[in-house]
Amino acid sequence: MAVSAAETTVTGREQYRALAFRRIVILVLLTVALCFSIALDMALGPANYSLSEVLSALADPAGVAAQLRVIIWDIRMPIALMAVTVGASLSVAGAQMQTILSNPLASPFTLGISAAASFGAALALVGGVALFPGAIQYMVPLNAFLMAMAAALFVHFASTMRGVSVETIVLLGIALVFTFNAALSLLEYLASEQALAAVVFWTMGSLTKATWPKVWFTAGVLVVTVPLFMKDAWALTALRLGDDKAASMGINVRRLRLQTMMIVSLLAAIPVSFVGTIGFVGLVGPHIARMVVGEDQRFFLPGAVICGALLLSVTSVVSKMLIPGAILPIGVITALVGVPFFFVLIFSNRRRAW
Amino acid sequence: MRLTSKTRALAAALFLSTAWPVLAETINIEDVTGRNVEVNAPVKHMILGEGRQIYFLAALEKEAPFQHVVGWRDDLPKADPESYDAYLAKYPEIAKLPTFGGMKDGTFDIEQAVVLKPDVILMNVDAKTATEEAGYIEKLAKVGIPLVYVDFREKPMENTEPSMRVMGQLMGKEQVAEDFIKFRADSIKRVTDVLDKNNPKKPVVFVERAGGYSDDCCMSFGNENFGKMVEIAGGINMAKNIIPGTFGTVNPEQVIASNPDQIIITGGNWDKYVPGGAWVGVGYGADLKEAKRKLEALTKRPAFTGVKAVEDGNVHAIWHQFYNNPYQFVAIQEMAKWLHPELFADLDPEATFKELHARFLPLDYKQGYFVSLKDM
Repeated sequence: MAVSAAETTVTGREQYRALAFRRIVILVLLTVALCFSIALDMALGPANYSLSEVLSALADPAGVAAQLRVIIWDIRMPIALMAVTVGASLSVAGAQMQTILSNPLASPFTLGISAAASFGAALALVGGVALFPGAIQYMVPLNAFLMAMAAALFVHFASTMRGVSVETIVLLGIALVFTFNAALSLLEYLASEQALAAVVFWTMGSLTKATWPKVWFTAGVLVVTVPLFMKDAWALTALRLGDDKAASMGINVRRLRLQTMMIVSLLAAIPVSFVGTIGFVGLVGPHIARMVVGEDQRFFLPGAVICGALLLSVTSVVSKMLIPGAILPIGVITALVGVPFFFVLIFSNRRRAW
Repeated sequence: MRLTSKTRALAAALFLSTAWPVLAETINIEDVTGRNVEVNAPVKHMILGEGRQIYFLAALEKEAPFQHVVGWRDDLPKADPESYDAYLAKYPEIAKLPTFGGMKDGTFDIEQAVVLKPDVILMNVDAKTATEEAGYIEKLAKVGIPLVYVDFREKPMENTEPSMRVMGQLMGKEQVAEDFIKFRADSIKRVTDVLDKNNPKKPVVFVERAGGYSDDCCMSFGNENFGKMVEIAGGINMAKNIIPGTFGTVNPEQVIASNPDQIIITGGNWDKYVPGGAWVGVGYGADLKEAKRKLEALTKRPAFTGVKAVEDGNVHAIWHQFYNNPYQFVAIQEMAKWLHPELFADLDPEATFKELHARFLPLDYKQGYFVSLKDM
C-alpha cells in the first residue's frame, strides 16, 4: 500500500511538472511571436528601407542619414513599443477585472473607465476645458486620465459600502458607461465640425500619438503593477474558486478585490488617455491567455501580458500595411485582427473557456 | 362644428395676414436636385437650413444680408467663429435670430419652422436624406412652405453656379447672382488658363489637415476638398492614391518617403479648443508674424525631416475653413501662386479677395488668410 501511494505521488508530481513545462513552452513561443511582430513593425513601412539599413540604423543611430534615423527611432519605434505596452496594460487590466469580478465579460471598459476617459478628452477637445489647470499642452490626456480615475474611484467607494455584491459593481459600471456615453454624445452634438472630427478620431484610438515619454510612462506603470499582481498570484487564483472558498483559505477577499481594482484602474486609464479608446484587447487578450495557459495566475498573468502585447503589435503592423502609406485607426483594426483568431480558439478548444 | 369653423376662420386670418401685403408672383424654380418647386418670389421671409448659406446670401444682399432671414441653423459660429463675430459686430440683431440645431441629423424642429412662417426654406443637399426620411417636404407643403435644395459643399465645382442662380431667382437678384458667378468663374479661369497654356511640371504637394491641432501627425485629404483644390491649382496631391475617402491619416513616414516639393498646412484660430496649441492661427485679421513663427515650428516635427519642401522653404499655411467655403476660388489662386511662382508672378489673390469684399460682401476685407515661410 505504501509503495503504491508513493507511486501516485510520483506520477502526480510528474504530471504537474509536465503541465508546467508545457505552459512555459507556450509562453516562450508567444514571446518569440511577439518579438517577431515587433521586428516586423520596425522593418515595414512606406519608406521601404532594406533590412540591413534598418539594422544599421538600430546599431549605430549617429552614423546613418538623418531621415533614416528619424524614421526608425522617432516614427517606427515609439509606435511599435507603444503597441506593446498599451496592449499588455489593457490585457492585464482586463485579466484581473475578470478575475475579481468573476465575470467573463468584464474588461477595463466595463467599469466605465474608457467611457469616462473619452468624455474627459472630449471636454478638452470640444470646450477647451482643462480639469487640471496649468499643463495646457497635456490637457487632453490629463483630462482623460482624471475622468477615468474619477469613475474608478466612484466605483471603488461604492463597492466599499456594505452589502454591495460583485454583480452590483458590474451593474454600477455599466450605468457609468451609459452615463458617460450620453454626456459624450451631448458634447458631440454641441461641438464644432473641427472639434467633432477630433473627438471621433480620438475615440477610435491611434498609435500615431506615440512618443518616447509616453512609451516610458506606460512601460513604467507595467513594471510597477505586474509584480504587485504576481505577489498576490496565489490569492487571485484562489479567488476564482469562489469568494467563500478563498476566504476559507485565509484570504481577505474584500481587501484583495479593492486593491486589485485600484491597480487595474490605473493600468487601464493611463494607456487610454495616451492613445484613445482601444477596445477588445482588454476583453479578448486575457481570454486567449486563459485558453492557452489556464487559470493559474503564475502563468495566466504573464500570458495575458504577452497575448495583449502580441495582439496590438500585430494590429499595428496591419493598420499601416493594409493601405500602404495611410494609417487606419487602430481601434478599428484591433477587432478585425483579433476576432478571427479568437473564433478559431473558441471552436478548436472544446473545453469550457470560462 | 363651431370649433371647426372657428379654426377655419383663424387659419384664414393667419393666411391673409401673411399673404396680403406680399405682392409677389409665383415662380417655378428648379433646384440642384432637379426638383421643380413653386415659390412666391421675391422672398420676404426665409429660413436658412444652414447658417453658412449666409456666405452666398450676403453676396446678393450686400446692404442688409439678414433682412429676410427669420431663422437659421446654428452652425456658423461653430464652424467659422471669425466670420460670425464680424457679422455680429455689424448686425448685432442676428444674436436674436431663432436658431435650429443640427438639421443634418434630422432634428430640424418643424413646429418652430411653421411658426416662423417663411416663404421658403433653403436646405443644403447634405441634409437631403434626413429631410426626406422625416417627410418634412410633405409636411411643409401642407402649410404651404416650399423647400429648396442648394449645394456649395458636396460638389462645389459643379453646383455652386446653379445654386447661386436659384438664390438669385428667389431673392429677385438675378443680375447680382450672374455677376458673382462670372467673377468666380473668371478668378478660377485666371489660374486654369495659364496652366493649360504653359503645361508646367506639377509639384508634389502634401496638404496637412489642421496641422498642430493634436499630437498626431499627418491628417490629410484624399481626392476631394483641398486635395482637389490643389490639383486645380496645378499641383499633385501627395495623398490622392493613399487616402481612399475625403479625409484620412497618412503615415508620418510616408511624407519622408514621398519627399513632397511643397507643403500646405491648413490652420485657424483654435484657441477655444486647443489653447496655446501648435496650430497655425491664420484667418480673418490674423497675426501673421505669430502664424509664421508657429508654421516654422511645425516643420521641426519628425515627419518633415529632410523633406525637400522644408529645405527649400516651400511651406505654407492656409485658412482651414476654405475647405467648405464659397470663396475657395481665392484659395485656389493663392495655392497656384505658391506652386508656380514664376507663372503667376503678376497674380494677386489678395486683390481678388479685396475685390470680392468691395463688390459683393457687406464685410470689410481684412488680411490674414495665408502665410508662407517665403513671406518676408
